[in-house]
Amino acid sequence: MKNTIKNCFIVLLFYCFFTSSIALGQTPSSTASSSPTIAVDKDIQQLKDKIANKVSEIRKQNNKAVSGFVQSIDGNMMKLTNNGEVNQVKFDDTLTKVFKVLGTTKKEIKTDDIAKDDYVIVSGVVTDNIITANVVLIDENFLVDSGKITEINKESYNIKVLTSDKNTYSLDVETGTKQYMVNIKTLLREAIGFSKLKEGDTVHFVVKKTGKEKNNNYSAVKILIIPQEYFIK
Amino acid sequence: MKKETIIAIFLGLLFGGVVAVFISLKSKDIELSTNKVIAPSKEKILSPNLTGTEIQTLELSEPVNNAIFEKDIIRFKGTAAKNSLIIIQSPIKDLVVKNIQGKFNLEFPLALGENSIKIVVYPKEKQFKPQEKFIKVYYIDSEL
Repeated sequence: MKNTIKNCFIVLLFYCFFTSSIALGQTPSSTASSSPTIAVDKDIQQLKDKIANKVSEIRKQNNKAVSGFVQSIDGNMMKLTNNGEVNQVKFDDTLTKVFKVLGTTKKEIKTDDIAKDDYVIVSGVVTDNIITANVVLIDENFLVDSGKITEINKESYNIKVLTSDKNTYSLDVETGTKQYMVNIKTLLREAIGFSKLKEGDTVHFVVKKTGKEKNNNYSAVKILIIPQEYFIK
Repeated sequence: MKKETIIAIFLGLLFGGVVAVFISLKSKDIELSTNKVIAPSKEKILSPNLTGTEIQTLELSEPVNNAIFEKDIIRFKGTAAKNSLIIIQSPIKDLVVKNIQGKFNLEFPLALGENSIKIVVYPKEKQFKPQEKFIKVYYIDSEL
């Protein structure tokens, strides 16, 4: 009996402690109530922030980026094709921004400046398989691949490359082509000339795709050679 | 010509054919057994280093294909064979590194817009084929 009273007393003590701390915790808000407009403004701002965060979160979830060549533009709708995949894009007058990528910089342009066969990257929210564009970037389409050099034409500065998926590329090495070779000892990249290329070397390459190439022939933007000596050392 | 003569000629040809085939097969066997073996011996084929050897496959945990980034620097995270040569190439960057640890965590810059990136792993053991992955990621500046 004595113990029960003791326990009840402890529980009561804890109860008093918690209720008093809650009451103390509420003191500032009761002070704030003296200036109700500030408190309401604060609440509204918090609510606004919460909604904005939620909207941004949902948008991020539904945000998608697609790319392709412009097949057609009709009013505020645009059709893109890329390796057989077709995407429909919708422009929003108040939302959509269009830029032309110029190397490392960009220039804002209008949707009317987008032309057929342009390569565009679209970022936006997908609804009913249509992407409402937030951003449209007009850029260049690059192809990045690698393979073995099977043939070198020293007169036309052309190399034939066989990739692992059995594709044969014909690459023109031009004056503007950046040519590098991996140093097999240091693994550092070193600038080289066309004469250093050998049949059997592995090459990693970057080319620009316009969609109008014939016979898999491209002008190489960049090549990186791994000499065959690396694989026999 | 008599019927018996035709039958005798036919049987003669048949017997001759059978004997010819038998001799031809037998001579091939003799030839194979007397010739030197050009291919490596069985012991050499089953190299002790390779028996039961499995190579760590290239696994890329980050970034995922078609991911959108708001920053122009990302990290390539994953696993590949130890001491393999990793090459990550995009239009703006070539990264060549030796994967000393099994895991890799490499910084890689992005260009504005679409980034086509190819990652190839060349195992140290040259008899293994290179492993490769191709991904596209997008850098869309948050200020756009």
